Amino acid sequence: MSFLGETGIAKMINQMSASLADGNFLQVIGTPLMIAIACVLLYLAIVKKFEPLLLLPIAFGMLLTNLPMEFSQKLMHPQFFVDDGSGVGEFIDGGINIQKIVSEGGLLDLLYLGVKLGIYPPLIFLGIGVMTDFAPLISNPKSLLLGAAAQLGVFAAFLIALVLGALGLGFDVKDAASIGIIGGADGPTAIYVTKTLAPRLLPAIAIAAYSYMALIPVIQPPIMRLMTTKKSRSVVMEQLRPVSKTERILFPIIVTIVVALIVPDAVSLVGMLMLGNLAKESGVVDRISKTMQNELMNIVTIFLGTTVGATATADTFLNSQTLGIIALGLIAFCFSTFGGLLLGNIMYKVTGGKVNPLIGSAGVSAVPMAARVSQVEGQKENPSNFLLMHAMGPNVAGVIGSAVAAGVFLAMFK
Amino acid sequence: MSLADAIITGLQTTVVGLCTVFAVLIILMLVLKVFDVIFYKPLKPAQKEEVKTEKVVPVVKAPVAQSAESEDDEELIAVLTAAIAASLNTTTYNLKIKSYRRISNNTPAWNKAGIKETIESRY
Repeated sequence: MSFLGETGIAKMINQMSASLADGNFLQVIGTPLMIAIACVLLYLAIVKKFEPLLLLPIAFGMLLTNLPMEFSQKLMHPQFFVDDGSGVGEFIDGGINIQKIVSEGGLLDLLYLGVKLGIYPPLIFLGIGVMTDFAPLISNPKSLLLGAAAQLGVFAAFLIALVLGALGLGFDVKDAASIGIIGGADGPTAIYVTKTLAPRLLPAIAIAAYSYMALIPVIQPPIMRLMTTKKSRSVVMEQLRPVSKTERILFPIIVTIVVALIVPDAVSLVGMLMLGNLAKESGVVDRISKTMQNELMNIVTIFLGTTVGATATADTFLNSQTLGIIALGLIAFCFSTFGGLLLGNIMYKVTGGKVNPLIGSAGVSAVPMAARVSQVEGQKENPSNFLLMHAMGPNVAGVIGSAVAAGVFLAMFK
Repeated sequence: MSLADAIITGLQTTVVGLCTVFAVLIILMLVLKVFDVIFYKPLKPAQKEEVKTEKVVPVVKAPVAQSAESEDDEELIAVLTAAIAASLNTTTYNLKIKSYRRISNNTPAWNKAGIKETIESRY
């Protein structure tokens, strides 16, 4: 008969009655509601194909962590990583207690150490570096300005989050910085900043960042059409010059040094990105670059997605802050698009109509979706116009830009 | 944090942050402008490769359809350039096709039939 008490149903009923007795009504339905949310996200990943490579592991991690189980049976214990005041994690000087995590943690606790210690996001950047072609940027240096302008959303969302925090939503300056970085449209960067500055908001921020990245083809076009004229959208840009191998090899080395000299906190991301790129462009370490962009990146993606999803338990996820983050994430994306287009328009005017302002919106770093949106919008106006390579310049500049913005936040608020 | 504090901190961070982002990327932009001056010499590669191309062209046995008149010349040249670039492991930027001609196939009909039969018998 004792087996009946061991079943998940029994545990869920116990949990519900305990929450009911505490008067904590949202938590009463917490477990089933979180499982339902996980299933909705799985649906979005599998049927709607929203960034499935990340959303599928995130959603399944969320499912795993919310299954009704005893504390000791759980795969993931967010209490070990974020001090919720319950004393479960036995924090040492505010830092995590690795001894306790290793001896008592579940499978996902151990894998989550890679997020907490800042290992996975740079490794993902390593793989992204191999897959990124900086040639469109090297041949058109002006693109870098667009990549910088599109970081406007990061700071706009930061400002709004801070104001909302002062008005009672409970965001402090570190939370606001983590929310702002959603506007960089770069998942690993957002996770890297959030795990350092505001670990309790990690699930909401990661889910918001990846969902909005998938929604870029829906979010950006209306803003693009609003901010450009029919004439400017149909501008055909000059063909990009060919880029020599020497330039491709020197670029990652120089970027790493320049970034390190100004924002050392961005080096773990930018440095890895450039290492990956150098491995590809040098052409002498073919085996290594293949591993970086395939096996290693896939392994890390599985660990990162599953464990980030697993931090989304009912008590950390079901609150007004999550809703605030989802709203602010959208604002951040809109402002980033706006910033890029604004500078794109200025460039259009300054160059006397040689630059198509549509490439500005590609400055948000979601590679290559944002560039593809520019291409599609450009072709609607002028079917023989190919903006894709022109838009890839600001797009990869945006990756560098958002990593630098992340470095600024880390340097200021760490 | 009061509302006024929040706005002041927020604006300060925004100004510092955006300026840093722009500073880093503008420095990189200047570096790339220098690249442009040092490494990019627009005409040279084309001249250098011309000699090479002339050598290569007769070797290519382009399967030109007999109807290939001047109207689809451009398309044909694009195809030839791409094929040569692929076989020489270089980019199309380094190649310039100056002329091409079809190399006639002088194999007697009986030999052709024999080759065809040999190939088909393998399956």
